[in-house]
Amino acid sequence: MPYVPNTDRDREEMLAAIGAASVDELFADVPNDLRIDEAIDIPGPLAELELVRHMRKLAAMNRTGEGVISFLGGGVYDCVTPAAVGHVTGMPQFFTAYTPYQAEASQGTLQSIYEFQSLVARLTGLPAANASMYDGASAAAEACLMAAGIRRRKKILVSATTNPALRAVTKTYLGSSDVEIVELPSDGGATDLEALREGLPGAAAVLVQHPNFFGLLEPVDEIGRLARESETLLIASVDPVSLAVLRPPGEYGAEIAVGEGQCLGSPVGFGGPLLGFMATTEKHLRRLPGRIIGGAVDCSGRRGYVMTLQTREQHIRRERATSNICTNEGLVALAATVYLSLLGKEGFHELALQLGSKARYAADALAAVPGVSLRFARPFFREFVIELPADASWVKRELSKIGIWPGLKCSCYYEDMENCLLVTISERHTRDDIDSLASGLEAILSAGGQS
Amino acid sequence: MPRIDPAAEWGADQLRAEPPALPELTEPEVVRHFARLAERNHHIDRAIYPLGSCTMKYNPRVNEDVATLEGLAGVHPEVEGEYAQGAIAMMYHLGRFLAEISGMDAVSLQPPAGASGELTGMLMTRAYHADRGDQRKIVIVPDSAHGTNPASVALAGYRTMEVASGPDGRIDVDELRRGVDGDTAAVMITNPNTLGVFETRIREILDVVHDAGALAYLDGANLNASLGIVRPGDAGFDIMHFNLHKTFAAPHGGGGPGSGPVGVKAHLTKYLPYPLASRDESKAQGYEYSMDYDRPKSIGKVHAVYGNFLVMVKAYAYILTLGPEGLRRVAENAVLNANYLQALLEPYYDLPYKGYCQHEFVLSATRQKEEHGVRALDVAKRLLDYGLHAPTVYFPLIVKEALMIEPTETESRESLDRFAEAMIAIARESENTPALVTGAPTSTPVGRMDEACAARELDVCSRDCD
Repeated sequence: MPYVPNTDRDREEMLAAIGAASVDELFADVPNDLRIDEAIDIPGPLAELELVRHMRKLAAMNRTGEGVISFLGGGVYDCVTPAAVGHVTGMPQFFTAYTPYQAEASQGTLQSIYEFQSLVARLTGLPAANASMYDGASAAAEACLMAAGIRRRKKILVSATTNPALRAVTKTYLGSSDVEIVELPSDGGATDLEALREGLPGAAAVLVQHPNFFGLLEPVDEIGRLARESETLLIASVDPVSLAVLRPPGEYGAEIAVGEGQCLGSPVGFGGPLLGFMATTEKHLRRLPGRIIGGAVDCSGRRGYVMTLQTREQHIRRERATSNICTNEGLVALAATVYLSLLGKEGFHELALQLGSKARYAADALAAVPGVSLRFARPFFREFVIELPADASWVKRELSKIGIWPGLKCSCYYEDMENCLLVTISERHTRDDIDSLASGLEAILSAGGQS
Repeated sequence: MPRIDPAAEWGADQLRAEPPALPELTEPEVVRHFARLAERNHHIDRAIYPLGSCTMKYNPRVNEDVATLEGLAGVHPEVEGEYAQGAIAMMYHLGRFLAEISGMDAVSLQPPAGASGELTGMLMTRAYHADRGDQRKIVIVPDSAHGTNPASVALAGYRTMEVASGPDGRIDVDELRRGVDGDTAAVMITNPNTLGVFETRIREILDVVHDAGALAYLDGANLNASLGIVRPGDAGFDIMHFNLHKTFAAPHGGGGPGSGPVGVKAHLTKYLPYPLASRDESKAQGYEYSMDYDRPKSIGKVHAVYGNFLVMVKAYAYILTLGPEGLRRVAENAVLNANYLQALLEPYYDLPYKGYCQHEFVLSATRQKEEHGVRALDVAKRLLDYGLHAPTVYFPLIVKEALMIEPTETESRESLDRFAEAMIAIARESENTPALVTGAPTSTPVGRMDEACAARELDVCSRDCD
């Protein structure tokens, strides 16, 4: 019997100790007419070998790995992860434990989350972070709810240049509240500052992504200044890798920073698990959703860690909790912590510069292809939008025949971006990879004619 | 490739003055640091981890392995559907397995945790009533419910009304009948409930709910007791969530990631989050499986992508390994193990709700507290000295000095005996040497932590490298 150690003899002796005649008797409280008569209709059981074969077969039905050059991104990024990350997250002491309810027997988890919070704080330039959220999208949604609570205002401005998935989830989360979402249009690929100025009065918060969905840098100083003038909270959704080189949200006046941390050492995994992070100022610390780990001392003065400010949370505060979140993304946060520790100050900085250099090279190479241009003139990080002289779906299809996925079709999310692709650079890309994209694109376009 | 000049590339005003203060360590130092942290954790591979309602069962290693296959872990979510047939097929079939196991009609795998599933369920409840032009305001929750229930209710814009449990720990049907009216949007029920007892009058309860035009929501946290025995859908539940990290053996990861799929009856399918993994055996698009975005009545997205896919992979592998018979044996042995422990411990601790339990049971340390000044918390801490993990304590709220114990089916009889011996020894220590219990733990890396002080003098991030 897989994973059930009791033998028939154990079962008999245990039933005797209980004083029950059969296991069936233990289910006496389940009404007879609800008991299942026949076995449920699912496949299995499979032996381990059969299972592995089946899973390999499923895996083979997906096209990944060698032989594919992917420029897909848009929030989920293919990062190069040092082998040691998986070895640490694969330690059963970490992955088979749960939420550190008993602090004395969970110091490893507690300290690692404390380190995660510290790293998020250093990246964002904000002093207080929580122990993780499901993803960058729900982190943004929760930040909007948090801001509405702090400001006691009923309007949230959300820039149209934020990730569409982030906006979709925010809409779901706020849909049943009395908080209204007002979408700010874009201007040249960045948040329209005129619209921002008009929308700010009475707004609890403005949610901006930087770099934004198109990879473009937003005028964050100006946005921060305008937000301050109307006492509106600035929520910055940030790419953590960009923070190796770009100014941290705490410096341009963001009072809440959120983001997606999957790119810190976790696989793309068909989009999950992801890793939401969230940081804020000391002033708003007690408004944060989710777990927060704090330093503490034990009865004899030894340094340790505990879950702190638990009176904000659902298991204590129930319907008055700051959020309903319980299970979070602990192990993915651990992966991010190990990843950042391994790359270190210099390695992380180098990563951002490499992404910058490769993205610049790629943008220049693609813009040199006849008929292809960069859609926006602003500086970008990691990804950028190109405009094609042909249908983007056709181009994607043709390039995929030679094992290249050139990027994400923008018209899926933005109606006015016909023939545009969001091209994302990974540190994995070599010069050859990028040249292949440029030459492949040129060949397809010059052959002309949409088949 | 030429190196960029950051100031020229991004603008000097966009750059931070100093790179962030990350550690500056070599790989051996980093690995040793985390290996040493690991030593300071209790975990399920080491010994029993009997947290009630958390279902801390063994995490099969092959599931961990298959979730790292490049063909699964390496699939980008934006890849065209035809290149992700394996991934979508897995999601489609896992949804079907869960529907069959639970008696529901359709399942969305998108919610990344149980609480997210609850929120999804409550938002679908809203959408359902809104469609009928019916603005209901109240969701009824028993007083034994998980804290996430009322918190999810609030997040969905509803008010919670609590109903008291009856003397047998079950929902008081008369009390419920008095509470339910035309303003009741839904009733959230955990079954077996957090006391570990099955709601014997579940049909009658759901009739009361449905007669008032409300929906019945099942919190599936305790589904481990029901696998292959009873299906929530057959009992009449309209919506439920699953916890793949509990019932289906995906690891808890020190707090996550989990996965909290939501199942519904046919009349609510249209409200499920978009997109939904779907199958077209005629392959009209040229391939069989696709993500269906064309769901105009959907409540929207609750996750940035499709949910915690790699957690789903582990649950899928688990279900295939066990098969129908194996799943039933899981429930049987989970319930047997819980009853065995309950029988061993009943003479030594108060058992407020008697009779056979399901997958878990709740003891009370009231006797120890009143007679010897030893609280449930002290018992929990002392267990750590025995190298075991503590049960969930002070929950459910309706039991004073609660010790909520869920051993799961993956504990051997030997392990259960060891846990019982420790609990019995602690009951004796409470009588004879209570200071030993109230001063525990003494063998853990740190002693009892001063949580009040930690909340007063907050230290939530290290400033060492600033």
